[in-house]
Amino acid sequence: MLDIAIAIILGCCALGAGTAMIAGIGPGIGEGNAVAKACEAIGRQPECKGDVTSTMLMGCAIAETTGLYALVIAILLLFVAPSTFIDILIQYVG
Amino acid sequence: MPKAEKIVLEETRNIAGWTIVFSVIMQIIFIFCGFWNYKVFLGNVLSSSLMIFNFYLMGISVQKAVASGDEKEARKIMKLSHSLRTFLIFVVVVIGVVLPFFSTAATIIPLFFTRIAVTANSIVKNKKKAKEVSSQNESQ
Repeated sequence: MLDIAIAIILGCCALGAGTAMIAGIGPGIGEGNAVAKACEAIGRQPECKGDVTSTMLMGCAIAETTGLYALVIAILLLFVAPSTFIDILIQYVG
Repeated sequence: MPKAEKIVLEETRNIAGWTIVFSVIMQIIFIFCGFWNYKVFLGNVLSSSLMIFNFYLMGISVQKAVASGDEKEARKIMKLSHSLRTFLIFVVVVIGVVLPFFSTAATIIPLFFTRIAVTANSIVKNKKKAKEVSSQNESQ
């Protein structure tokens, strides 16, 4: 019975990590769109290249943090949470 | 790897400066809370240097995408770059979490320093601009 409970905990942690990583798709698409539009802007006004690149870098850095949150949650669910949950389970079961 | 442009190096230097400041603040907080040991320091160094390197790589890929000139090509470059950088971060953070000589908290917290650094940087820049404008108005 304990083995099944541990397997359910591990499975749920893996599922949670996988689901969390769905959020990692967004920043890639967002960064791609931002850079594509920046290319267009620089094509229209080449003299603004420095300003556009600088602003875009900051924007990309902010966009990327959303993916990082998801990554951190996934890593915690995969490597930290299972042992904690199993410890709690064993404490209760004895 | 293409040579970094001046603007990329400048922004990376800004972010690195802020990251070092936040790292020192984090170390001080850990010391005051009584949690500090060499693991906290190592975890902080690993994660902070990773984030600075990640920002530099992002700058290089932005520069490459802009230089390509084509929208579709730029999108492709950024998506590929994002995937590779996320994988790099995953590997390094897993090393930090799994190996016993890195503190888990000290490895994870500096991952968010880049965002705070960008915000702090923009606040400082806005204040500087406001000061310049007010000094120009006073001289007129």
